[in-house]
Amino acid sequence: MTARETIFAAIKSALAPLPEREPRPAVAHGVADAQWLADETDNVALFVQRATAVGTMCFRSSSDCLAWLFEQQPARVFIPDELRDVTAKFEGIVEVVRSYSRDQVDEIDTAFTPAAGAIAESGTIILTDESTPDRLAALAPWTHIAVVRKDTIHRSVADALAAMPDDPNIIWVTGPSKTADVEGILIQGVHGPGVQGCLLI
Amino acid sequence: MINLATRPKGKRVQLMATCLCDAFYDDVARATVEVLEHAGCEVDFPEGQTCCGQPAFNCGQWPAARKVMRHTASVFAGDAPIIVPSGSCAAMMFHGSTLEFEGEKDRAAIAQVGARTWELGDYLVNGLGIKEWPGEFRAKIAFHRACHTRGTPSGAAVLQLLQSIQGLEIVPFGEEEQCCGFGGTFSVSFPNVSTAMGDLKLEHLRAVHPDYIVSGDMSCLMHLGGLAEREGQPLKTLHFVQILRDALHQHHGQATH
Amino acid sequence: MAKQLIDTYVAELPPTVQKAVHQSTAATTEKRYQLLGDDYADSDGLRKLAGAIRQHTLEYLDTYLAQAEESLTARGAKVHYAVTAEDACQAVTGILQAAGITKVVKSKSMVTEEIHLNDYLANQGIESIESDLGEYIVQIDGDHPSHIVRPIIHKTRGDIARSFEREGLGDYNDDPETITRRARKFMRGKYLEAGAGITGANFVTADTGRLVLVTNEGNSRFCLAPAKVHIALVGIEKVVPSDADLSLLLNLLGRSATGQQLTVYTEFINGPRRADRPSGPEQMHVIFVDNRRTEVLASDCKEILRCIRCGACLNVCPVYRQASGHAYRSVYPGPVGAVLSPLLAGDKFKELADLPKASSLCGACNEVCPVDIPIPDLLLRLRNRAHQEHVPSPGTPPMAGFALLGSHPLIWRSAMTFGAAKDYLPLDRLPVPYLGAWLKTRTLPKWRGGKFRSWMKSRHGRNGGGGK
Ligand code: SF4
Repeated sequence: MTARETIFAAIKSALAPLPEREPRPAVAHGVADAQWLADETDNVALFVQRATAVGTMCFRSSSDCLAWLFEQQPARVFIPDELRDVTAKFEGIVEVVRSYSRDQVDEIDTAFTPAAGAIAESGTIILTDESTPDRLAALAPWTHIAVVRKDTIHRSVADALAAMPDDPNIIWVTGPSKTADVEGILIQGVHGPGVQGCLLI
Repeated sequence: MINLATRPKGKRVQLMATCLCDAFYDDVARATVEVLEHAGCEVDFPEGQTCCGQPAFNCGQWPAARKVMRHTASVFAGDAPIIVPSGSCAAMMFHGSTLEFEGEKDRAAIAQVGARTWELGDYLVNGLGIKEWPGEFRAKIAFHRACHTRGTPSGAAVLQLLQSIQGLEIVPFGEEEQCCGFGGTFSVSFPNVSTAMGDLKLEHLRAVHPDYIVSGDMSCLMHLGGLAEREGQPLKTLHFVQILRDALHQHHGQATH
Repeated sequence: MAKQLIDTYVAELPPTVQKAVHQSTAATTEKRYQLLGDDYADSDGLRKLAGAIRQHTLEYLDTYLAQAEESLTARGAKVHYAVTAEDACQAVTGILQAAGITKVVKSKSMVTEEIHLNDYLANQGIESIESDLGEYIVQIDGDHPSHIVRPIIHKTRGDIARSFEREGLGDYNDDPETITRRARKFMRGKYLEAGAGITGANFVTADTGRLVLVTNEGNSRFCLAPAKVHIALVGIEKVVPSDADLSLLLNLLGRSATGQQLTVYTEFINGPRRADRPSGPEQMHVIFVDNRRTEVLASDCKEILRCIRCGACLNVCPVYRQASGHAYRSVYPGPVGAVLSPLLAGDKFKELADLPKASSLCGACNEVCPVDIPIPDLLLRLRNRAHQEHVPSPGTPPMAGFALLGSHPLIWRSAMTFGAAKDYLPLDRLPVPYLGAWLKTRTLPKWRGGKFRSWMKSRHGRNGGGGK
């Protein structure tokens, strides 16, 4: 017998004696929505509020974002071509590079990537391989700013799950990378970004 | 678990006094009778009763436990509600028994007894529909919800009654959801853990300076009271039914325990 | 008197460790409680629903597992099966060797702990680095995790600083921020040179074949960003029917584990790179591991397979809080471990049969479990099994005498009367170990045996009550 056959036979014989089996429970859409979600009417405002609460910096305009970025004095900023319009103001003010490769992991300390969407309920940014083909760009730099189109913000976690795109890799980012492994003390920026931002367009 | 919502609610009840009250806490059993009678019940006390068998059940000696439970089921024959002044023994009757009789021929008969069993506070509030308790009891108490009432209506029921008593102040304390550390034979087979758990509970309780520690289970109180006394800082303990009884008698301040 | 191992362990555990474990677990329990209360009117109902979903999946596991396999295969992943721990390790080695890979990075996974993958790979000459900060520290110390979510809950910053110094990661510095930055720098190099990333999975959806991975650090994502090969080791019980079920499970997992609405990174992976998505690893392998799960499924403790490894039961457990994780002598500590570890031990059941005893049966674990596992019931069944298999249980009184008393009312009543002798006996000097264990830290109340019965009798004439 192959390992597969052995395992399936063992599962079947384990389940055979059950007099009856647990039926599939109905899981109503939104059954685990936070109870306060019903009172919220503005997805964008809610997203900003929840994202801020989990430590994601939100920028409502590219000038706000630039002002903040300028203060940070980034070494090198990765901005892919498709974001050229959004970040036109950045040119000449910070050093912009247009391509990202693994040799540059140490040099590029800030990256902008387009997001595939967001979730208002949890303040989550959604990235996919389609939106962010370079996974490292959204992960390795100390500062990552996801560019989120307001009309792609899902209301709830359940809504986002109901609309999952066909993509081999979808990642939800809810705040900056963090750990509490050392004595329970919260430290941000373990492997991923220490500063997670979001520019709404 | 047996469906707790369909238990009988008649006013002729059978009292299961519990082995601990039989051996140590006769006043709690007496108070139970007086309180039930005040609520209009007629209380039968089947004399052949011994114990629910939980000590053997909890340490995995199920054949011994079943022997005791079979005896108990035969003593509590009939269809009257069975009232127990202990959340732990009550849970043994309506939940533990169904586990230990899995695959046994007489499981249905045992389950019939479990399906009539009520913890006292649950019965007063949800069986008899009493929402407030008359009388007065001037004291500050800390209420320890016994662990075996988790998932049952008992904790809320008892609090509701106590809160309605004039003069009674219930103070919250730290980590209320934590166990006192008794756990039946656990208390002697894991003496270090059991004692440490009890000490933590006492620390939280002492921090709020209650006049009494109150619970619905004398086993928790025996453990906590015994620890406190051995440490040379005794704490006064009461079963909630003693408060209900004393409130009726309008005892003021220091009751006689 | 012989002692229960966990009780002895507690007595010997340094108070500093005990205090650290207690503070951290109590704080997480409180956060969890607050968030669930703020967000849900009926979080208890949600737990029960999640439990029903998991139970349903288990009871149709053959169907859902086959469906998950089909979904994954259709998206270009290669699915393998491993009956034993050894089989699983061999499968991993085979994949790595075929791809000519000698260096791998791992993200935290309980099943890889369970099959001791790192040791196995090291013996095959393959470097395998744990990328989760806590797990990395466990690895360099040759230690074991003491909590399923917080592996180094038993270590102080000083311990960690010394380990880092020893490993050449800079001079002694116990500032948690510095420790984290040094790990970040070191791990960067490892991610980039690794040929494969090894992960577990928190869930696998049957309908879409999505592997769901949650981390706060972002390490699983990093393991999969530069690597050519992704190998996921997944317990066969991790399947859930559909994406829609995840909305409930993910919402409960983050809140239960760490008091977060969602864990920072929630990653959904259902295949290797494709022509139109040329980003990720070229190969994706999923190894479904049995390692005695089918035995658990056949047992009367199958509900434990619902577990989603949130750690809430550890955090709330008063025994775990006293004992910390190593006392459980197995990969899974705390209440979940007390059930799962002896079951996964197979013919070594007896060696871990004391774990189910290490509980006051307080039921706090069931009350917090996001999939409503009746842990106390399972502990009791395992105690019964240990007794039937004649496993000795130190410190537990034999119950034959109790059964005799408890089933003979006449003997019971005379015992009640004669028990009064106790108040006149030098109890602490009697050669009864159980009594001694009680009296060492506790007093016993005065004996009042039979008093209630005579009071009850004396009222018969008055009110006509009484029974048979
Ligand atoms: S048994 Fe329940 S509470 Fe414990 S780790 Fe598993 S899912 Fe979490």
